Amino acid sequence: MKALRHFLFSPAAVLGLLLLIGIVGLAIFADLLYPRDPLALAGRPLQWPSLGGRFLLGTDASGRDIAAQIAHGARTTLLMGMVSTLIAIAIGIVVGALAGFYGGMTDDALMRMTEAFQTLPNFILLLVLVVVVGSNMTAVTIAIGAVSWPAVARLTRAEFLTLRNREFVQACRTLGLTNRWIIFREVLPNALAPIIVYGSVVMATAILLESALAFLDLSDPNIASWGNLIGQGRKVLRSEWYVSAIPGVAILLTILSVSLVGQGLNDALNPRLRGR
Amino acid sequence: MTASTFTRRQMLASAGAAALLAGLPIGAFAQEPRRGGTVTVHMPQEQRILNPALRASTGVYVIASKIMEPLVDLNEKGELEPMLATSWEGSPDGKTITIKLREGVKWHDGKPFTSADVQYTAMELWKKHLNYGTALHSALEAVDTLDAHTAIFRYNRPMPMDLFMGAAPDLGYIAPKHVYEGTNILDNPANVAPIGTGPFKFAQYERGQYVIAERNPDYWRKGYPYLDKIIWRFITDKAAATAAIEAGQVHMSNYSSLPLADIDRLGKDARFEVSSRGNERQPFQNTIEFNLRRKELADVRVRRAIVHAVDTDFFIENFLYGNGKRAHGPIPSVSTNFYKAGAPDYPFDVKKANALLDEAGFKRGADGTRFSLKMLSPPFGEDIPLWSTFIQQSLQQVGIKVELQRPDAATYLTAVYRDWNYDLSTGWHIYRADPAISTMVWYRSGSPKGTAFTNQWGWEDPKADKMMDDAAFEIDPAKRKAAYPEIVKLLNTELPLWMATERQFISVTSKKLKNHHNNPRWPSSHWADLWIES
Repeated sequence: MKALRHFLFSPAAVLGLLLLIGIVGLAIFADLLYPRDPLALAGRPLQWPSLGGRFLLGTDASGRDIAAQIAHGARTTLLMGMVSTLIAIAIGIVVGALAGFYGGMTDDALMRMTEAFQTLPNFILLLVLVVVVGSNMTAVTIAIGAVSWPAVARLTRAEFLTLRNREFVQACRTLGLTNRWIIFREVLPNALAPIIVYGSVVMATAILLESALAFLDLSDPNIASWGNLIGQGRKVLRSEWYVSAIPGVAILLTILSVSLVGQGLNDALNPRLRGR
Repeated sequence: MTASTFTRRQMLASAGAAALLAGLPIGAFAQEPRRGGTVTVHMPQEQRILNPALRASTGVYVIASKIMEPLVDLNEKGELEPMLATSWEGSPDGKTITIKLREGVKWHDGKPFTSADVQYTAMELWKKHLNYGTALHSALEAVDTLDAHTAIFRYNRPMPMDLFMGAAPDLGYIAPKHVYEGTNILDNPANVAPIGTGPFKFAQYERGQYVIAERNPDYWRKGYPYLDKIIWRFITDKAAATAAIEAGQVHMSNYSSLPLADIDRLGKDARFEVSSRGNERQPFQNTIEFNLRRKELADVRVRRAIVHAVDTDFFIENFLYGNGKRAHGPIPSVSTNFYKAGAPDYPFDVKKANALLDEAGFKRGADGTRFSLKMLSPPFGEDIPLWSTFIQQSLQQVGIKVELQRPDAATYLTAVYRDWNYDLSTGWHIYRADPAISTMVWYRSGSPKGTAFTNQWGWEDPKADKMMDDAAFEIDPAKRKAAYPEIVKLLNTELPLWMATERQFISVTSKKLKNHHNNPRWPSSHWADLWIES
């Protein structure tokens, strides 16, 4: 309750939350707002946005309604962002927690593996994965999750390293609690705040990665997504810049809202900042 | 779909007419050509080979055809223009072709050009290595050198004179024997530092940056060339190339190498000529390719329905800025020798498409879908993603769901031409003056599995194969001319694939340049008479 109050008192966090609610709302009501298939031919290609016209945000180079693609794309983008973030965080927490809590050989082994992943630029790794497994949305989502976890793992490990020898953990040990209990019920909740905040960064990066893939024409062309729209718009950037700019603004707003909410959560959840 | 009344085609057509009129006075009042100057040309790709006797490709010709020369080129009317050959004659049985060569021509290193060079190039380069050349000259037995300036080509089956000469501007480049003899031809340094007989001498090749050629003072055509120097700059980013042209750093871009939207924009800029003039010889087509191993597509009614469902005119007017027109089969209408109207055609007709699909027994399901197909689209040009998306959108209207895949070029070529792992596919067919050169291979069965741009559709028709073979080696030009429309009739009826559009490459040229694009293959031609205003 206290955390919620703290959250709601931060104007930035509330702004972020409102934006996020708006985007989620757009995603939920996309079918009501734009019942037609967003990828169907809607009219002459490359019509400029116009307030009174048939196409509020204009049409893209394939004659598809940009507004419909933004609404339906919100769905794709949010779902893809959340699922890949969950995948990244799940892998990251497991690896980081094991490495940080047990230390020694386990730590060495897991961290060397993590570093091996980190030495590869994750976009290059993603390109390889997508070329190998194909570029449908499920594969792209899993691939983005699979390249985004190393930073989460290192963060979790660092948190665990600082927490594992604290008095309350030692107290748990003396009480004879199992390692699993200590990791998940005692250490993790205390380590979670920075991970949640970092989760917002992962989600923002995931959305950007998908856009970058689509920009290179490597994302799933059968689904309306903001990245695809930007990739399409690249070819007409000099004359019809709005095709790329509109989804660009949508991505900007989404990432902004996610990070503001993440920051707000950090301020509210972090026990060390509480009551400040 | 009726929102298409606004057409860029009309605008382009009138712009083209204006350009034509503007072009006339140049010839009529003949401004005095200026000698000297440097022209810079945009190159969108780098093939790392500058020998057109080894590789037939526009990316090679656009540089190397200024340095090396073919037996014949084309003049402004599209007729054969003698270059290294001055006259040619076929024997009545079609098996011997006698070529008289130009006298007094010197290679850039000072050695004289003789019939031995022609003999060596034909036997060692064209017949063994040159793409399309290996097929064209498969029956070439020997080239005899009667004297230093007469070469006699001997074939073991008739070689139609019009096929030989029709191919000669592209597939007739001559390389110097004294440079290549006794070396590994494919690794010869002259492949990237060519020695030719042409109006310009090779000067420098900086990988990834530029190629420079300089004026050949000993050129056989006295008084030519006008220019001192040509620089080809490699700029792979299309938008950057547009910027370079607008800034005046680059004078010309050929073969539709700029973004479609920029080409349209520059067309309205008075500083540039944007036109397909001088590109008439190389029309290209957007295809719809079927995999007949798929049971739905094995039914010709389904293939016809698919073509009926795609509004090609709408696509051209609205997606390609009006550049091109609907095709009526594999031979483009600009190929007046071989094109004849009246072959079976499949104009846009959704009602008919639905009726054909119903008749074939593929009823719509509860969600309105009849069946789904997987479509592969290669990354060759900017129009191809648009075309594949348009097909997807069009087929949705008749209840066929299309799942698009856009792999990289190598994956695409393997999937379609070797693994046959596709249902629909799309790409470019480039027509080269005669259907026997690079068109009939799309239909003739028997190409080895994996050969790109050949019939790998699972379609085989012995009657069509025989008709194509007979036409290719028919030595009576009238009979050849009559044979191809019959073949097209059969191919359009059976429809193993469909060539939907016919288009011309577009060149963007600064109006400072004069005497440009004045023959039908000009970007691949010699440029000896090109000059630039100071």
